[in-house]
Amino acid sequence: MRIAVCVKHSVDETELKLDPSGRPQLAGAAGKMSTFDKNAVEEGLRLKAAHTGEVVIFMVGTPASKKTLKEALAMGADRGALVLADPLAVDSLRTADMLAAAIRKGGPFDVVLCSEGSSDTYSGQVPPMLGELLGVPYAGYARKVVVNGQTARIERSLEDSVEILDVPVPFAASVVSEINEPRYPTLIQIMQAGKKPVEEMDGEELAPPGAYRQASVVSMSAQPSTRKHVMIEGSPDEAAAKLVDALMKEGVLSK
Amino acid sequence: MAGLDPAYAAVYTFTVASVVLVAYAVFRHSRLSSTSIGPGRLAGLAKDEARRFTTGDPVFLMHLSIALGVGLSIANSLLDPVIEYAPLLRTLILIFSVPLAVGLAAAFVWRVQVFIKSKRVEKELRSSDSFTSASTLLQGILILAIGLTTSELVLLWLPSLVLVGGTVGVARNLLVAAYYSRPSVNLIGYFDRPVSALKTPFSLGDVMAGKIEPEQVHVGVGKISEFDASQKLSYDSCVEIGACEAACPATASGRPLSPRVLVRKVSLLSRTAGGEQADPLTAVGEDELWSCTSCGACVASCPVSVKHLDLIYDLRRSLVARGKLDKEKSAMLENLAQYQNPYGFKSSTRGNWAEGLGIDTLAKNPRAEYLYWVGCLSSFDQRAQRIARALSKILKQAGVSFAILGPEEMCIGDPARRLGEEGRYQELAYQNIEKLNSYGVKKIIATCPHCYNALRNEYPEFGGRYEVVYHTQLISDLIRDGRVRVPADRIRKITVTLHDACYASRYNNIFDEPRRALDASVSEVREMGRRKEKTFCCGAGGSNYWYKVPQQRSIAGIRTDEAAKTGAKEIATECPFCLSMLDDATKVMNTGMEVKDVAEMVAECLA
Amino acid sequence: MNHVVWAYSENEGVSNEVASAATDIVKGSPGEVVVVEIAQPRAGIRAPGGRLLLKGPSSADSPGVVAEALYRAAKELQPAAVLVGATRNGRETASRLAAKLRVGCMSEIYNLSSDGQSLLGERNVFAGKVVAKVTCALPAVATVKVGSYPRMESAPGGTRELDVGGVDSPIRVASREKKAVGAVDLKSAKVIVSAGRGVKKKEDLAMLEDLAREMHGALGCSRPLSSDLGWLPEEHHIGLTGVSVKPDLYLAVGISGQLQHTAGMKDSKVVASINTDKDAPMFQASDYGIVGDLYQVVPALRRALSAHG
Ligand SMILES: Cc1cc2nc3c(=O)[nH]c(=O)nc-3n(C[C@H](O)[C@H](O)[C@H](O)COP(=O)(O)OP(=O)(O)OC[C@H]3O[C@@H](n4cnc5c(N)ncnc54)[C@H](O)[C@@H]3O)c2cc1C
Ligand code: SF4
Ligand code: SF4
Repeated sequence: MRIAVCVKHSVDETELKLDPSGRPQLAGAAGKMSTFDKNAVEEGLRLKAAHTGEVVIFMVGTPASKKTLKEALAMGADRGALVLADPLAVDSLRTADMLAAAIRKGGPFDVVLCSEGSSDTYSGQVPPMLGELLGVPYAGYARKVVVNGQTARIERSLEDSVEILDVPVPFAASVVSEINEPRYPTLIQIMQAGKKPVEEMDGEELAPPGAYRQASVVSMSAQPSTRKHVMIEGSPDEAAAKLVDALMKEGVLSK
Repeated sequence: MAGLDPAYAAVYTFTVASVVLVAYAVFRHSRLSSTSIGPGRLAGLAKDEARRFTTGDPVFLMHLSIALGVGLSIANSLLDPVIEYAPLLRTLILIFSVPLAVGLAAAFVWRVQVFIKSKRVEKELRSSDSFTSASTLLQGILILAIGLTTSELVLLWLPSLVLVGGTVGVARNLLVAAYYSRPSVNLIGYFDRPVSALKTPFSLGDVMAGKIEPEQVHVGVGKISEFDASQKLSYDSCVEIGACEAACPATASGRPLSPRVLVRKVSLLSRTAGGEQADPLTAVGEDELWSCTSCGACVASCPVSVKHLDLIYDLRRSLVARGKLDKEKSAMLENLAQYQNPYGFKSSTRGNWAEGLGIDTLAKNPRAEYLYWVGCLSSFDQRAQRIARALSKILKQAGVSFAILGPEEMCIGDPARRLGEEGRYQELAYQNIEKLNSYGVKKIIATCPHCYNALRNEYPEFGGRYEVVYHTQLISDLIRDGRVRVPADRIRKITVTLHDACYASRYNNIFDEPRRALDASVSEVREMGRRKEKTFCCGAGGSNYWYKVPQQRSIAGIRTDEAAKTGAKEIATECPFCLSMLDDATKVMNTGMEVKDVAEMVAECLA
Repeated sequence: MNHVVWAYSENEGVSNEVASAATDIVKGSPGEVVVVEIAQPRAGIRAPGGRLLLKGPSSADSPGVVAEALYRAAKELQPAAVLVGATRNGRETASRLAAKLRVGCMSEIYNLSSDGQSLLGERNVFAGKVVAKVTCALPAVATVKVGSYPRMESAPGGTRELDVGGVDSPIRVASREKKAVGAVDLKSAKVIVSAGRGVKKKEDLAMLEDLAREMHGALGCSRPLSSDLGWLPEEHHIGLTGVSVKPDLYLAVGISGQLQHTAGMKDSKVVASINTDKDAPMFQASDYGIVGDLYQVVPALRRALSAHG
């Protein structure tokens, strides 16, 4: 079984620094493998262990993000493909274009795995776009994937329900974090993974944009990051009402 | 006379042969394991035993009685044909035999009691039947050997039964040759290896310098044959004395670990058919390995110097290399990799605790005499930050020139190393050493014994050589020298008990200084039974702070009970991990006791 | 291209939120907001500018099928924008539609507006630390953050039908089940109500469970409740030795806020806490705090929530 897993070198939101005007300093910002992508790699490795075959890691990123590719290889993947482009400068559709082209080039694959969303921008768009662009059946938010010959049984975890699907192989899927516990690659294993083959290709050459309209970022500013420390006074009922009001204004009370 | 008796001649011949056999077995095992047992080692051992003799530890005295009893009876049996010409020697032997026989008899009773306990532990651990019977056999032999030696010493007094005594001696010598030559070699070879000594499986420096390829690095032990000869000797030397099991906090808390059972399982596995190729993890469980707090009580208490911790670290390294970490452990390691602290806090906020206290960073004041190495807990944990503030207050009052690294400090690496991720540990160590050396740091103060231990005993191997002082030592020196003065009316009228941290006391022999500091700041210190180098762990060491292990009761709870029994109102600690553990346990158990670091207790008395 | 904005969600309530968002864009000419329905009209849908019922697909269950139906209809009718509620299925639908149309897809936006040329919106990135203003030239596709708009209240307008032809899916749905209440994965919960030792008896947890349910959230706890008292299974325990969570709202009830606990929830977007002790460290880690007895404040909170409906 040949398995493609897509990973992203995300901006490390914990280490992110904001300049005095509140703009994030993205140039040279610390990065890390997107948290849930580790689950995707792990699931790829589990499928490989169950069916034999090969796991290939695909990443759109700059040369500075190779650390993440190496980490995925250290977890046990066999080979890697680095599509050179700045993931913060291209939108999800272009990222998916590039990944799709690279996966076609390195294909055919039986399974294409992504995670539900990256830890920095968490759009969750690339995986379904990839399914669309590759023209294969797609199942998002998988919490369980079992491949049985020519079909896979996939449990999709939605907000308040679980769907059990039979999906023909080849297919693409995104996984949620509850699907597994990713293994930790040791420092030595990461160093050893430096020897695994990684093919580099230019994103724009590989997938010329053609006619398309990009969604782009106009500006970024800081969300007040420290806690507000608002103490709400009044009788229990008054305080509770004020709290509900405040939380509604924050937009954090889902109805 | 006796020389003419053919029966006597036969027994004597057998005696000599059996003694030669013992000597040969000892020689052979020292060769096989390349262990040095020369006169220098023997003299060193004798000195060490003499030192321990003066501590009067009853368990030690029993073991000494066994060793000396065997020695004495062997000497007597060899000298027997000529002893009548040396009446003085004979008298001496007879005199010596009395206390030894008493010691042996006590050892016999104690052994039987240990045997019963060990079977209970095995039942709790659900040990296999084959293990239990192998263990029963070995303990039976030990009891038999003690019995035989005791009776031999008694028979010394009955010359008419010399043939019986001789035969008993031959039987015992055969047992010694078969079962006790390895432990003897192990004891002579390694009695003085410190508890803190830890095998470094590879050098990351060599890998980074290109001296060896990463592929050549092998970490952990996947096959019995990968243990080095001294390790195999160590594990095969276990004769089920059970001192480790009695001292082990993991066993006491009902965790799935007994150091005795662990070592014996590995030794027995190595002796099965194809044992050399066997994977030790087929016999040892994951939780069994994670249960260990690395407190070192097992190593320190073993009368034959078995080094359990080497085994535990090697097998943990195998688990880590095989990706067998649950999310708590892997998250901690990932945090170390990404943020250089086990919590996952933004690394640049590390020095925030010192804001507004007028404490310099080394970057600002590179000429400070001391670097205060704060450590992760005192940097980030609100409770533990109070230790750092207390120490800073004391140092300022005493006029000690010091600075911190602030955001430039990283985790010392101990949690990674104890968990079995050697590479990550060494990466942190090399980075820290580079930083320290770039500032030309000479003297370091630590408030965390894990940091202290790494800086003092481990970093030199990687090129970091500093004069490291523990905060309790420095505080007690400052008090002695009058640089810190506690006015008599500020000494708090309160009863306190001190919980020695394993890594300060057992690992580094620091235990008098914190007591001196307490004597100067509180009215009464009441001691717990297990103290100083015999302290009982808080349960946090060996990276245990960062994950859960199945257990029947908490180690910190056991210790808190012990502290409460002294009637003390407060527990003094000297380690931020101990503080956190005991603070939590005293609250959960509603003991009403407060827990504070020694530095806080001293600082409280200062204006 | 015309000025009509389409609003769609497979979830009725969310659809009404998206309709409000769409109304914001067309600046009060609600006639230009069309709510799209697939296969069958739903009773609770509010669509001031009328609805567009797409006939052909047998149901709206599969995002792939919905995306194809929307694509065919959009080709024909050329809306200025298609807004989809950012539920899990909605994200998939919008992404696939955008890929078919070859336009970028704006993700989980709120504060939507349009200058007639392009669509503008804001979204949270970098774990909520940063707000990004994003844009895409019209015609555009976007998902709208759930809970960021009030639900449209006005009565539905007329319905127009369009037959887009049959859409097949290669995927067969074997079953579909509601998740058991309480079995919500803490890691993906948007709201977490977390109980600490301020709760006196195990039975009292029911009150907090009810509160969590009413807030569409999950129940978490501090370690003593699971590890020492055994009132809740271990997977509810948040912190250093438990799970780490990042919900939109973390409501700490009777939790003192030791670092070992806060280490596991420090990345939550908004934190509120209730504690009798005004000096509890938990308040330092909170946006909103109420000093009070949880046995009074929690029932009051439930009353306040139901008053808001
Ligand atoms: C190694 C280690 C790891 C740990 N890991 C974790 C972890 O992962 N997660 C975790 O949570 N803890 C962990 N702990 C425990 C942690 O240190 C705290 O002990 C624990 O979080 C405290 O839980 P609590 O806040 O529920 O209880 P308490 O600290 O007892 O606090 C109870 C709070 O409730 C308030 N209160 C009392 N009555 C009322 C009332 N009627 N109404 C409102 N408020 C009231 C009190 O004022 C108090 O602030 C760990 C500890 C150690 C040592
Ligand atoms: S180091 Fe301590 S916890 Fe570990 S096995 Fe030895 S005695 Fe037990
Ligand atoms: S945390 Fe304290 S008691 Fe526990 S192992 Fe470390 S030093 Fe020992």
